[in-house]
Amino acid sequence: MADELDSWARERAPDLLARAEDEAVAVLRDALVDAALGQRRHDRPPRRSPETSAPGAAPTRAQPAGHGLWAYCVLQAGEPLPSDLLGIDGESPLELVEADRLAALVSRVPLAEFGAEPLRENLNDLGWLERVARGHEAVLERLLGESTIVPLRLCTIFESDQGVRDMLEREHDSLVRALDALRGREEWGVKLLADGDRLAEAARARSSEVAALEDELGTRTGGGAYMLGRRLERHVREAADVLAAEVADEVRTELESCAIDSVVLPPQNPELSGHEGRMLLNCAYLVDAERVQELRDRVAELEQRHSELGVHIESTGPWPPYNFVLGGP
Amino acid sequence: MEERSLQLRSPGGLPGRPSDQTNLADILERVLDKGIVIAGDIQINLLDIELLTIKLRLLIASVDRAREMGINWWETDSSLQSLGSGDDVEPSQLEQQNRELRERLERLERQLGVGNGDSGESSKRGTRASGG
Repeated sequence: MADELDSWARERAPDLLARAEDEAVAVLRDALVDAALGQRRHDRPPRRSPETSAPGAAPTRAQPAGHGLWAYCVLQAGEPLPSDLLGIDGESPLELVEADRLAALVSRVPLAEFGAEPLRENLNDLGWLERVARGHEAVLERLLGESTIVPLRLCTIFESDQGVRDMLEREHDSLVRALDALRGREEWGVKLLADGDRLAEAARARSSEVAALEDELGTRTGGGAYMLGRRLERHVREAADVLAAEVADEVRTELESCAIDSVVLPPQNPELSGHEGRMLLNCAYLVDAERVQELRDRVAELEQRHSELGVHIESTGPWPPYNFVLGGP
Repeated sequence: MEERSLQLRSPGGLPGRPSDQTNLADILERVLDKGIVIAGDIQINLLDIELLTIKLRLLIASVDRAREMGINWWETDSSLQSLGSGDDVEPSQLEQQNRELRERLERLERQLGVGNGDSGESSKRGTRASGG
């Protein structure tokens, strides 16, 4: 008995420590998320006026009264622009600045809020960031159905029209390459979610090792049974991880066959995304517009195939093609 | 959830789509981390934005990768205080939680007879089994 415990303890100690460490990290992360989300709730309604959004910030270089140009995306010059579209501040109209047969979509933003100094502070405010991110996204989405666009990362800001034109000329070749690679294609997001309990149940059912341990457990009592029970739990957990990886791999590769390109993204934090279950896969696919239906059919079929795992495959799109702006290899 | 996002994001549904229903994590992982990077006239300190991206990656995804990279800014970063905004979690509380977890771990180890009740290096190897 003592031997058994001894060897068990020796075997388990590193794993136990690792798990405790994971737990500690998870608590820290949750606390952070809580803090950030709490602050977000706290901050509503979003701060709009320059006076309150940059408390104590005294920009030295930027003129508080001046304006900069927030750039959303690049498209080919001469494309139509929806007339009812407003910029991230909800007030300023969108404008096209053209050069070298390319156009950048921009709107004016106050430097008191978007100058280098206040920007640095505002970016650390999740409420502000959410408003700006959603505003940026909303503008890009309105253009999606009508033009091929190259989305720019958040906070690409210029001081003047001339600055925008210089950029279009400087980056001309890579922008044209990106536009060519994106024409007629859509970005779709796919997330694979599974029910943790049902995953474990399926893994338990198909593992011969687990079956053997269960048989053995029937013959034990007391401390031996406890130890064996813990071992069994660990085997089930490991088998569930293997199964999860297999399913994720299958979904990823089958969907890849409908796509031009794909990117695997890190799984999301459930508290920010609000999803239930385990996120086994988070991917983005670049798909020819005429194959989007095929992708969605394939998603439905895969979900059906793995229904015993409580699998849910969420597909979202079309997105502005953020993940595929490099214009291919 | 799927139906909602599919409907809302399907091409036909785009124009009137209320964007505040789209999952914030989906948006942030794209607008902050992806999209073409072009130098604008207004330069924000690249280090700051990098740090922000790392922080948000932690919020969006998991902390595991950051740990692998050796990032532990939550222990020292003063901007975490502004993140906590006074009424939520302060770093001191995080430290406390950390301490409580360590204590819990030690108790657990003692119960299981792993290690010697000290959460230092010696407990990395189970030395003696004293109970059961």
